[in-house]
Amino acid sequence: MASDKDLDSPDRRDFLGKVTTAVGAVGVAGACVPFISSMNPSKDVTSKSTSLVDLASIPKGKTHTIEWQGKPVFVTHRSDETIADMQDVSTEIDPQADADRIQKPEWLVVVGLCTHLGCVPNRNEEGWICPCHGSIYDNSGRVVRGPAPSNLIVPHYEFVDEKTIIVGKKV
Amino acid sequence: MIKKVFAWVDERFPLDEMIKHELTEYPVPRNLNYMWSFGFLAMFILIVQLVSGIFLAMHYKADVGMAFDSIQHIMREVNYGWLIRYLHSTGASAFFALIFIHIGRTLYYGSYRRPRELLWWTGLLLLLLLMATAFMGYLLPWGQMSFWGAQVITALFGVTPFIGESVVIWLRGDFVVGDATLTRFFALHYLFPFIICVAVAIHLVALHWVKSSNPSGITLHAKDNIPFHPYFTVKDLFGLGVFLIIFFGFVFFAPEFWIMPENNVPADPMVTPPHIVPEWYFLPFYAILRSIPDPLGGVVAMAMSILIFLAMPWLDRSNVPGGAKFRPGYRIMVYVWFVDLMVLGYVGAQAPEGIFVLLGRIATFVYFGLFLLLPFISKREERRSRVQGLPREAERLIREEQEELLRSEHYLRRENDEKELKNIRKRLEDES
Amino acid sequence: MRRLLVLLSAVAMFATAQGVMASAAGALKMVDIDSSEQARQRGAEIVVGTCMMCHSLKYIKFADLKEIGMKEEQITALLEDQDIDDRMLSLTPIEIRKESYGKVPPDLSLMAVARQKGPQHIYTLLTDYYYKSAEQEETDNHLFPGIKMPDVLAYADAESDDERAEIEAQAHDVASFLVWASDPSAESRRTIGKYVILYLIILTTLLYLLKRRVWSKLH
Repeated sequence: MASDKDLDSPDRRDFLGKVTTAVGAVGVAGACVPFISSMNPSKDVTSKSTSLVDLASIPKGKTHTIEWQGKPVFVTHRSDETIADMQDVSTEIDPQADADRIQKPEWLVVVGLCTHLGCVPNRNEEGWICPCHGSIYDNSGRVVRGPAPSNLIVPHYEFVDEKTIIVGKKV
Repeated sequence: MIKKVFAWVDERFPLDEMIKHELTEYPVPRNLNYMWSFGFLAMFILIVQLVSGIFLAMHYKADVGMAFDSIQHIMREVNYGWLIRYLHSTGASAFFALIFIHIGRTLYYGSYRRPRELLWWTGLLLLLLLMATAFMGYLLPWGQMSFWGAQVITALFGVTPFIGESVVIWLRGDFVVGDATLTRFFALHYLFPFIICVAVAIHLVALHWVKSSNPSGITLHAKDNIPFHPYFTVKDLFGLGVFLIIFFGFVFFAPEFWIMPENNVPADPMVTPPHIVPEWYFLPFYAILRSIPDPLGGVVAMAMSILIFLAMPWLDRSNVPGGAKFRPGYRIMVYVWFVDLMVLGYVGAQAPEGIFVLLGRIATFVYFGLFLLLPFISKREERRSRVQGLPREAERLIREEQEELLRSEHYLRRENDEKELKNIRKRLEDES
Repeated sequence: MRRLLVLLSAVAMFATAQGVMASAAGALKMVDIDSSEQARQRGAEIVVGTCMMCHSLKYIKFADLKEIGMKEEQITALLEDQDIDDRMLSLTPIEIRKESYGKVPPDLSLMAVARQKGPQHIYTLLTDYYYKSAEQEETDNHLFPGIKMPDVLAYADAESDDERAEIEAQAHDVASFLVWASDPSAESRRTIGKYVILYLIILTTLLYLLKRRVWSKLH
């Protein structure tokens, strides 16, 4: 072969070669973008990123489970006694004031997935109890007994008017 | 640090040796022109098809009720879905364009000749696999052309003697092309690329064993070989750049050029479009199929139109080395064959009426006639070359090669390597 | 190089062959279709108001019309019972449509790419109606004889050139809108395409220079 020696010549790795390699690398990286992006939620999925909830249909003391981004969300119309009860309960695992978990005291909105391993807790008088490992939440969605490590998540929601909320943000 | 990692790997895996053997010390004739880049380009587009195909499969639904809609879901709702789909649809056409040029180069320069027969046959196997994959992939969008194309081509198997009808139903899994057909075509369309990858690996092993042919068709003297890397890596990458400009030109500015309008209409088993045409890359073979009046004969002729290439190493009986370059008779044949193929392609796109029936038959006759004439032409041409002598360039290349072979014979005699010696003697005999 | 050109032209010929073969349809009026937002918006209004009596555009949502520059109020003005996030489906019950035409009228989302020279096909079809007889009872269509679709833009009724020109403008706007509907990503595709091609030209030039430099070491 004619030119084995040329292979090792030091100017092989010179400026032109480096620039070309860099430009090529940018192209390869750029080519990955559409493929990676295609695995993100598609337009029809992101358009369902919010849910409207009609509060008028939920009587006092009742909880409705609505679907938001494929997950259950508990919307509870709390009675005045429940609200009062919730003010002085101090939970130990993840202490949080009831006021920090609500926008209007009579409406509690929490994602209905146990913060332990994601099972859907069952409703009872005192709050919720998770069927999987027995975590207990109070009527503010705060964890009273483990193994759940934290309170039920409060999703982003806004009052559109007195009787309607929109859960989630537009993507 | 990097050196240490490589040293660690090299102790356990022949990485360094492989890089040397296949790249930095792999000898390639220095006189290769850009026609020799198309194999690399085909491999590149294979990767494009694999990647885009896998990402399409993440969103596609192989169900007659959902297939067409899922393509529109990809086109309109999946992020960059339109890009991935157009890459795949344009890529299919590009793949065939590249492979046809690659095969055309092999024929023109006589690269199928000894000792590259296995390379040639694995290449033809790859062509058949590619055709099967493309055909099955074309059903997946579930448009009118998809459906009727699959309907017609599966119906061809009905010419199988005695069991024709049951073969067709077995292929379809239904009485017509239906849900079962679509689902199995999807499964196989996903499977075949794996087989193609294996076949490509075999093709490459064979190539690196016999090394590249070259435009002169004569094995070059060792001093005229240069390492693949960096010379041909950079040359092929430049070729790739030019190809990508054309390819992305279509992807971004004329992607619909490769998609027939009829295929934007959902499949309807009750209505056949007025004019069914296969994709452009099947047109010449489709024309051959239609130009034989007997259905069984047509199918056999279509199969033969590709399988006959397997016989090229035997049909070409000339001992004049090289391809068309030093062989005027063969050169004319190859050109006639190229033109004939274009005529067949044109006829394949027309409705089988009037003049086109006749034209198709003539072109089919010429197509096969050329193959049958080849043994006689190549023998005659050889006799003429013996009388008139080869061009001076060819004489020089042959002399140089023989000198080198003689040198190695001399060397081997000392080493007593009988087997190698026999090989070299055979080559010297062949070429004198 | 010459051989390469021969081969490339061969490939190009196969490719054009399939283009040639299907363009033999009836005489199309070869108008240029404008791609301005105004034309598309006017087209959208005609399509929703007229075509969607019988046809649907199932791959498009009303909200997608924002992409052609329509304001939310403009879109809600087009709605009847539908929500803005609904797909653009005809409100006429499917049985009634099937009964009137023998089959469900085709979906229009892809109409502009479902025919050879689709946009011109749509334009021509809408402006090719004529009365079969002087009594002006029954219309037919030059491009599509025996068509079941009525003369919705009333082209056959037009009496003056001005009237005809107005209907032709409407047909043009419908075609323009349907071109958008058939491929909403076309515009972003072309924008990205320009950058990709520009990038590739730079990369290819660099590779060419590098190739020349590497090969210049050979003697």
